[in-house]
Amino acid sequence: MNEGNNGLRVGFVGNPNCGKTTLFNAFTGARLKVANWPGVTVERMEGMTSFNGIPIRVIDTPGIYSLSCYTIEEKVTRKCLEDNEVDVIVNVVDASSLERNLYLTLQLLELNTPVVLALNMIDIVEERGMEINIPTLSKMLGGIPIVAVSARNRSGLKQLLLAVVNHVKDRPKAFVVTYTPQIENKISKIETTLKSSYKSLENVRWYAIKHLEHDEKIMSEYPAALEHIIDQNYEKQIISQKYNRIEEIMETCLVKREQTSLRTDQVDRFLTHPLFGVPIFLGIMALVFFFTFTVGDFLKGYFEIALGYLSVFMRQFMLEIHASGWITSLVVDGIIAGVGGILTFLPNIFILFLALAFLEDSGYMARVAYVMNEIMGRVGLSGKAFLPMLLGFGCTVPAVMAARALPSERDRKRTILITPFMSCSARLPIYVLFSEMFFPGHALIVAYSLYLVGLLVAITIAFATHHMWGTGEEDVLLIELPEYKTPNGRTVGIYVWDKVKDYLSKAGTTIFLATIVLWFVLNGGPSGFVTDVQDSFAAIIGRTLIPVLRPAGLGDWRIAVALISGLSAKEVVVSSFSVLFQVNNINSAAGMSALLGSLGSFGFGSLNAYALMIFCLLYSPCIAAVATIKKETGSLSWTIGMVLFQVFIAWGTAVLVFQIGSLIL
Amino acid sequence: MKLYEGEIGKTYIVYSVMVKAGITRRLEALGVTELTPVTLMNKKGSGTVIIKVRGTRLALGRKISEGIEIREAADHE
Repeated sequence: MNEGNNGLRVGFVGNPNCGKTTLFNAFTGARLKVANWPGVTVERMEGMTSFNGIPIRVIDTPGIYSLSCYTIEEKVTRKCLEDNEVDVIVNVVDASSLERNLYLTLQLLELNTPVVLALNMIDIVEERGMEINIPTLSKMLGGIPIVAVSARNRSGLKQLLLAVVNHVKDRPKAFVVTYTPQIENKISKIETTLKSSYKSLENVRWYAIKHLEHDEKIMSEYPAALEHIIDQNYEKQIISQKYNRIEEIMETCLVKREQTSLRTDQVDRFLTHPLFGVPIFLGIMALVFFFTFTVGDFLKGYFEIALGYLSVFMRQFMLEIHASGWITSLVVDGIIAGVGGILTFLPNIFILFLALAFLEDSGYMARVAYVMNEIMGRVGLSGKAFLPMLLGFGCTVPAVMAARALPSERDRKRTILITPFMSCSARLPIYVLFSEMFFPGHALIVAYSLYLVGLLVAITIAFATHHMWGTGEEDVLLIELPEYKTPNGRTVGIYVWDKVKDYLSKAGTTIFLATIVLWFVLNGGPSGFVTDVQDSFAAIIGRTLIPVLRPAGLGDWRIAVALISGLSAKEVVVSSFSVLFQVNNINSAAGMSALLGSLGSFGFGSLNAYALMIFCLLYSPCIAAVATIKKETGSLSWTIGMVLFQVFIAWGTAVLVFQIGSLIL
Repeated sequence: MKLYEGEIGKTYIVYSVMVKAGITRRLEALGVTELTPVTLMNKKGSGTVIIKVRGTRLALGRKISEGIEIREAADHE
């Protein structure tokens, strides 16, 4: 045990979506993302708390259904447990789904580490008119302490820590599952063999059972001559005997078994309808974007007024302190125009994430996997691959990480390849600005069309790679559908605040720096400070790209420069337009008409604007996303190849749109 | 009959599970074992189904739903 310096180590282990992270947040004050679909947590996380002066290190693990080693989540959690990284396991159990949750509990008990059972969501059980006999349950589970908690309402938390601290050394008092004599006989024979080969091995029963189950990890780490005992794989028998035991426990401990959870079934009949499921999903997404645009725009006005005042005030302030002209220009035309301009889009971003948080916390997310399974099946992916894509509407970084939930390497890479085409929130300011400027009255439809184009390109590329990369092992849909619930204010709050904070800090760092760099390359040239912007570094670089961008209707050096700076973060495309075209308060009516005038002066019309939006939608995601992709795929060359491929797709599609559009219009 | 051939709203007993080994194990861990009662909650023409088993709802693709052989609950009893 490691109680000295680092504190008591407590690992939260449980099924996906049983409330581990909500508990972790409640104990550590952390604000990790929580949602109502299986697989939100993909990495182990650590935090600190204390109880009666005892420091406690809390470890949150990805949700697992069993202690086998088939998925990345299972491997991460099992490694954490087998390497003795925890002193006490807190097995978080969804009381409303006790029967299934107990399977993992029985396996954890076989590990013979001290286990405390946290019976979460007990409030839901009571709502359904059921009762769990906790003392009997504890008795049937080897006497381990059981604490009823509600992670959401933060009740029972102290009692849980008390149980943890008091039972640090208490291992289960008896075997919880006694298998049939045939299997027990084999277990004891294997134990004898293992003991003679591995003298220091503790808890030999666990290793013996794993050998019987043909567990690859244990068989390779602790090889032994057991062929005469293990004549076949006994996993099936062991699993079904565990479930038999669970049935006994359920019959004894659960009073008044659940009738049916009617509400979820009724909602599901509608939302997962074989014919209307897909249109309903598209409708819900359309509604999300409708709110993002209309409510967001309504709030935006106040931000613009504030920004207008700030800009006038700063210019006067600079005059009064006799600041030199270039500093005034850097602050007002550079930083305030660029960074401030981006901040006016905050209401749109806020509404988008609020809507996504509602979707994620309601329980609908996992249904989307079912609804989209056929469409994804045509391109050789399972409906589950659609979840990372859907998250991509928010931000590409967590979306790419969510692809870990896919078991096959080939499908994981294909999903990572197409996820950036899902239009993330950073591209929203570009659509808001250009669609409102060039398509007044139809801005919403134009913006929604971009989301659909992104989806279409993603699916087309998935289709192409399915045939080009050869047929691999195909994932097949297997996902748990959680109960619907009313989104929790706290969970939604954490989620949205996190995103708003990200956006603000991005405005203060990446966008701020990009704006300053842009101002310098715009005001500096090979001969020092330039008076004519045409001699600046920016113009020189931008001009070299004109021939390439012209077929896409984007043949202006300033557009080229804006697109290059957009690689740092997509919002920078908008802040760069403010700086490049010297438009203050770009998102206001005056700002838009000024920019419209400047763009119109070289023939940039609505078709060019649409091609620009298409290009921004499809070209390489921001640096943060690229870095995540590199980390997740572990291959630099693959990542570079992907970036080049995406730039090519963006260019090709923009050219196609512009050329065909020019013929028609 | 196969799982996806069942009738929506009816409860069946799992007779056998014949899918790829890795998936069988995951199904078993989720409690889809032989002789377990399952209720078919929803299905699509393609064979994708939603079932309720041991108090949990699972969405399963065709490759799984065609590998699960079921019997009507009454037949079994």
